[in-house]
Amino acid sequence: MLRLVGFRFVGMFVVLLLLTLAVFVIQAKLPADPVAVTLGGGATPQLIIQKRHELGYDKPLWIQYERFLTRLFRGDLGTSLRTRSQVAGDITHFAPATAELALASALWIFLFALTLGIWSALRRYGSGFARLFMLALASAPSFFLAILFVLLFYSQLHWLPASGESTNLQPVEKITGFLFVDAVLGGNTHIAWDAIQHLILPSLVIALGPAVSIARVMRGSLIDTMRLDHIRTARSKGLSEVRVLLKHALRNTLTPVLAMTGLQVGLLLTGVIVVETVFAWPGLGRYTANALQFDDFPAVMGVTLVFGVVYVVVNAVVDILQLVADPRLKEQS
Amino acid sequence: MEAPTEETKVASPDDIVARVADLHVRFPTAGGVVKALRGVSLEIARGEIVAIVGESGSGKTMFGLSLLGLLPQSPSPEVEGSVVVAGVDMLAGTTRDVREARRRWLGAVFQDPLTSLNPTMRIGEQLVERRISRGAAIVNLREAGIPDPERRFHQFPHELSGGLRQRAMISMAVGVPPSRASPIDIQTGAVLTDGRGSPQLIVADEPTTALDVSVQAQVVLLFDRIRHEFDCSVVFITHDLGVAASIADRIAVFYAGRIRELGPAAEVLRTPLHPYTRDLLNSRLSINDIYATSIGGEPPDPRAEQQGCAYSPRCSNAQADCVAQHPPLAPRSKVVASGEVACFHPVTAAPDITRAPSHSKDGHHFRIATEPVLELRGVSKTFTIREGRLGLHRRQLHAVDCVSLTVPKGGAVALVGESGCGKTTTLRIATGLIRPDTGSVHSPASAGQPQLVFQDAGSSLTPWLRIGTQIEERLQQRGVGRSDRRARTNEVLGLVGLDARTASARPRDLSGGQRQRAAIARALASEPSILICDEPVSALDASLVIRVLELLESLRENLGVALLIVTHDLAVARRIATDVAVMYRGRIVEQGPVDEIFANPAHPYTRGLIAAIPTTEPGQLAPTLAGEPPAATGRIQGCSFASRCSFAKDNCLTETPLYEVSGTRTSACHYYREVIATPLNRPA
Repeated sequence: MLRLVGFRFVGMFVVLLLLTLAVFVIQAKLPADPVAVTLGGGATPQLIIQKRHELGYDKPLWIQYERFLTRLFRGDLGTSLRTRSQVAGDITHFAPATAELALASALWIFLFALTLGIWSALRRYGSGFARLFMLALASAPSFFLAILFVLLFYSQLHWLPASGESTNLQPVEKITGFLFVDAVLGGNTHIAWDAIQHLILPSLVIALGPAVSIARVMRGSLIDTMRLDHIRTARSKGLSEVRVLLKHALRNTLTPVLAMTGLQVGLLLTGVIVVETVFAWPGLGRYTANALQFDDFPAVMGVTLVFGVVYVVVNAVVDILQLVADPRLKEQS
Repeated sequence: MEAPTEETKVASPDDIVARVADLHVRFPTAGGVVKALRGVSLEIARGEIVAIVGESGSGKTMFGLSLLGLLPQSPSPEVEGSVVVAGVDMLAGTTRDVREARRRWLGAVFQDPLTSLNPTMRIGEQLVERRISRGAAIVNLREAGIPDPERRFHQFPHELSGGLRQRAMISMAVGVPPSRASPIDIQTGAVLTDGRGSPQLIVADEPTTALDVSVQAQVVLLFDRIRHEFDCSVVFITHDLGVAASIADRIAVFYAGRIRELGPAAEVLRTPLHPYTRDLLNSRLSINDIYATSIGGEPPDPRAEQQGCAYSPRCSNAQADCVAQHPPLAPRSKVVASGEVACFHPVTAAPDITRAPSHSKDGHHFRIATEPVLELRGVSKTFTIREGRLGLHRRQLHAVDCVSLTVPKGGAVALVGESGCGKTTTLRIATGLIRPDTGSVHSPASAGQPQLVFQDAGSSLTPWLRIGTQIEERLQQRGVGRSDRRARTNEVLGLVGLDARTASARPRDLSGGQRQRAAIARALASEPSILICDEPVSALDASLVIRVLELLESLRENLGVALLIVTHDLAVARRIATDVAVMYRGRIVEQGPVDEIFANPAHPYTRGLIAAIPTTEPGQLAPTLAGEPPAATGRIQGCSFASRCSFAKDNCLTETPLYEVSGTRTSACHYYREVIATPLNRPA
């Protein structure tokens, strides 16, 4: 077990190193010269050459990569061409809002995937319609869904707000960076409720696709599991159907469900960029969208690195959780 | 409730634990309505063991599941009749009552303990789910013969051996025996009226089929003990009449969804009245009797409407009235109440002990010193296993330890042994699938590539390819032209007794027996001089076993194909092989002509294996071989069997034995003379 976890972590670091290499090569080989862009259109060729030498852009690539890595370890992702501030600083500024949105989406995913998965696996009345409805929603592109939700819940029904993370301009004391959590900690229920209302639509749009994918895997896996011999044994002991399902079937379906969850994290991260733009959510996604329009490559690459790390770490955790879920896997490793 | 029918006489109505009355179970499917049970009535008295026997598809498993109220729900069955266990209607009762009856009054043991236990839950968690205390669970584990139950309590099913897993499963099927029963139910506070233990009825569906011979005998004994300790009844479903004979008080013979014969085990087995019972007995392979004969024909389509006796198409006694009318169950004897039989023309003659041989036995014995088609010379194979939390501890597993084996041209050699003895590794070495660490495999160039026949033909054939395509594939590799491939395909299909039209069928269109034949035909396509068969009949029904073995015999006699048969079943080896090699913990412990070895084994392990096979002699519990076959670990000092052996002395632990018993026999036992001199402790 420990050995396998160890191997998994070594592998994770190799992947992360390759990610930095990829980010570096793209950055170094881009036609847009970062020096020329920084200096602006009026700079003379001499000045550009001088500046390139100063910044080390004329050194061999591998030396530049080494410098890139050492700077990275010090938390230096370069300077944003658009905001003229440190990319690392920008990211820490915008990350909490995105994390809050992602966690809210994860909650939806958990809720939808579990109920839809179990409901349709048991083929209970109405589950077919629910599956169809959810599938239709999940197959729509996220920008379309976002616009649809805004039109319906904001413009028509006036149920939920459609932009930003808060209508309240009164500042909240920053403790965790999560608006909702900070508001609760500060005892400000009004702001907390407002934050929840703002969270609902964007997180729902992000969650639908992954939730339906995971629910489909879960449904298939549950249907297979409920046919297994040990389920019959569990029933023969006089256990209730609910206990049979929760205690004997669910854990055995986790292996493929976890694998799917790990893959869906990637989709969730890209979904954030579109959804934050539509809902004017002050997070990393909108930051990236703005950076893209401005050819702000240091910012884009910084966000890419952060998303990459999140994705790789989540999938490593998924692998380990699979070992915990199925004790037989430990034996085989 | 239904009035008791004219069933076998039982003491008093109070002592009936379960009452099944005119039970019909039908499953509507796309291909027609499958009639699993067609009117079964049976009463099970307190404390008795009733064996349910029959071929697959006879409805015996459905009967067991209906006792548990656990009939499959998709497609949902149409049910008529009633099943009442401990006063609860298991089919029409409320969900709550049925569940409570399962928990308190019923226990279930299924065939494969590995799949029947939840792989992700610890043994102990699964036991206490029955709402018994942890202490009671540990007592049950210990009583079921599991050493160190406190440790096992915290282990996962895959960490136990096959035998221990089935013991754990059995200890999960039982609750609290009357001797330990409290007068008041701890959970509900209800006063228990009679101090009866829990459960009242255990339904065991093929509980010994997946186990090794020596373990099987131990598990049968365990059921007998549990029945007495818990004062409960057991419905013991099995295809093996030997197992049924050794444990059952009564036997019910199922065929095509109905009971055909029912009565005390001794009487049904000694004087079977239904021709089907007689034919089943005759088709049973035994190591004493190599002349078992197969039942002709196939079981009827479960979707077909039955008019008349379902067995009549296969029955030698059948007459016109059998086809016209269905024979009802009637008393077996007009003189004494000793069960019932559903037959117009029951068997009258005493069972024919001196049956005519179904094939020429001469072919078995000619032994000419021809060149071998396959020879293993001192092959060994060691696997490295990583252990410990970090996997840093490596352990050597000697799967095969210096095995020498020769298959002569046209000969038939059986390699027998229990699971984990190394026979499968040996087979893989023989086919060249893995390379031995030391030693070598020889076969003359003219012998061609050995061909394999696997245990489960259904899964060894590619499901979406036509049989013909799969056979031609083998020929295509050898560069045979298109028209020649066609001709050869038809030829090999003919050799195995299949119609040429089978070539265009897919595996799912064929029956189990036909699939096994098709797999053999595929192996024959390239004209091999040796077929290597891995448990070729262990997935088949008794009546099919003989037919496949007869086929292999005829191939050997007519085509001169040599056979190497790997099997756990000594009776299969006895029937088909000229020579046998008995394997234990990676070594061959005894080797020689099959008749001599079975008549007079020269190794205590062979002796124990033979003794552990149940016979159809009623009430004879097979003497058990203590312990379980251990996994081959480390290099064994001295004799590999010494730890389980009753003949062992000090030198067995240090000196590795190997003796020539005669010109053709070897034994790896220092005391083989004593072993030979000691008569086999079993009925003749």
